[in-house]
Amino acid sequence: MSVTALHQVSPAPQGARLSIDKIGKVFTGPSGGSVKAIDGVTLNVEPGEFLAIVGPSGCGKSTLLQVIAGLMSPSSGAVRLGAQDVTGEPAHMVYLFQQYGKSLLPWMSVAENVMFSFRHRIVMTRSAARARCDEYLAMVGLLDFADHYPWQLSGGMQQRVAIARALAAEPKVLLMDEPFSSVDALTRLDLHALILDLWTAKRFTAVLVTHDVDEAIFLADRVAVLTHRPASISEVIDTNLPRPRLSIETRESPNFLALRHRLLAHLLARPGGAAHDAR
Amino acid sequence: MMRAKDRLIIVAAGCSLPAVFLLGLEFASRNGWVNPTFLPAPSAIFATFAQIILTGAFFAPLVHTLTLLFVGYSIGCIAAISLGVLMGYSRAIYNLFEPLTELIRPIPKPALLPALILFLGLGAPMEITIVALGSFFPVLINTVQGVRAVDPVMIDTARTFGHKSPAVWRRILLPASAPYVLAGMRISLGLALLLVVTSEMLSGNGGLGDAILSAQRSFLVKESYAWLIVLALVGLVLTAIFNWTEKRVAFWQAPQAQ
Ligand SMILES: Nc1ncnc2c1ncn2[C@@H]1O[C@H](COP(=O)(O)OP(=O)(O)OP(=O)(O)O)[C@@H](O)[C@H]1O
Ligand SMILES: [Mg+2]
Repeated sequence: MSVTALHQVSPAPQGARLSIDKIGKVFTGPSGGSVKAIDGVTLNVEPGEFLAIVGPSGCGKSTLLQVIAGLMSPSSGAVRLGAQDVTGEPAHMVYLFQQYGKSLLPWMSVAENVMFSFRHRIVMTRSAARARCDEYLAMVGLLDFADHYPWQLSGGMQQRVAIARALAAEPKVLLMDEPFSSVDALTRLDLHALILDLWTAKRFTAVLVTHDVDEAIFLADRVAVLTHRPASISEVIDTNLPRPRLSIETRESPNFLALRHRLLAHLLARPGGAAHDAR
Repeated sequence: MMRAKDRLIIVAAGCSLPAVFLLGLEFASRNGWVNPTFLPAPSAIFATFAQIILTGAFFAPLVHTLTLLFVGYSIGCIAAISLGVLMGYSRAIYNLFEPLTELIRPIPKPALLPALILFLGLGAPMEITIVALGSFFPVLINTVQGVRAVDPVMIDTARTFGHKSPAVWRRILLPASAPYVLAGMRISLGLALLLVVTSEMLSGNGGLGDAILSAQRSFLVKESYAWLIVLALVGLVLTAIFNWTEKRVAFWQAPQAQ
């Protein structure tokens, strides 16, 4: 994989400012009981910024991201993209699902899956659509698999297709829900480099939800740490690591290790935290 | 090679049972163990069958039956899929229609024939209606189940790319629930064939059902059995066509299950 090929290009940010204002979410069960998943989360994401949100399993990360994406309405608070309130699915925001295997449509070929993200929005000929599709498939190195079906590809390749599809919609904001959690460790490093390449080239605003501290630090400008359920922000840390980031060197740098130490200590120290579960 | 040979043996063994059965009937009939007026020798029935085919006499009743079947089955399936997608997608629509469908669904459909004859007479409208009604319910139930089983991630995927409701129904819910829908359509096909023959027998104006009953009433017993063979072949061919179509429509199902 080309790790640094696209890092040199650095056009002006094209994203839009994302404001998350005192979001709360309470689920009401069928039997009347209720679960408070999110409790007053406030975050601002600058245009073209890469923000990571880390939090323990089940704390409400997916819920928060779905509210931001307009796929779920919040119980309180509001989300704004640029000057507009997010109600329903906004045109410039795309959600990359944790479950890529379910998100790719098995009755569509890889190319059809990619075109599914933009074809209905733009009046364009079939060949123009195919050209745009091929452009994005080439970016993730899967041009040769355009006419395969998703279930004929490996997990890592499927997630690349999902990434190509999300980016082919040319979103201002890309919301990623643990997109790398179900691929093997090496593929994950590969996909990290890929997503950074693409982000550097396209400069969308990126919000990544993960429970992997290393991943968050490696990719993001800032890392927001969530508390246990109900999720609220316990800390936001600037990574301040130089870019371009390099798969091996960046992860071994003293600054990276210091951040890692600080975040892990933070996540493990909390009463009822992961350390408690592990005991 | 081994496997092909094994399969051949199994097929041969499977075919030998009907062969033994037919030989037994032939023997029993020729020796007068059964009344040949009621059960003619298979050889005689086949001769009559050949005559029906060779003279082209089969053509009009066959076209009659297939036309009614096709029209009624299509109407029933299309209506059931449309309503089923809506009922599976929306709780409100489900609650609106569920009492009505649950009222009609358990009635054995042939019991509706007398009422339908009162309203629609003995012709094609009545026959098509009963076939459509019979085909409707299995497809409806399965479509509702199939749509409910669609993973929310798929629907949210379409939503995040800005697909609105009708497109979500057509491009996600319909293909995703296709395996369920097809299973319902398979049940409906059997019911449709049953109902088309029954209603033709009652109507008495054409079709394979009419041919079987009329022949029997005129004491043309061999003809009656010969028409039965035509009907059996129709069922066989329709099932084969259905299997072929199902494999192609839900092509992603088998490889994914592996
Ligand atoms: N649709 C829903 N209805 C009711 N409760 C829900 C729903 N979705 C999530 N929850 C609850 O909200 C809480 C947070 O769930 P969420 O999926 O957001 O966690 P998560 O941080 O993404 O977890 P993971 O790390 O396992 O992906 C959970 O306790 C869950 O039970
Ligand atoms: Mg999650």
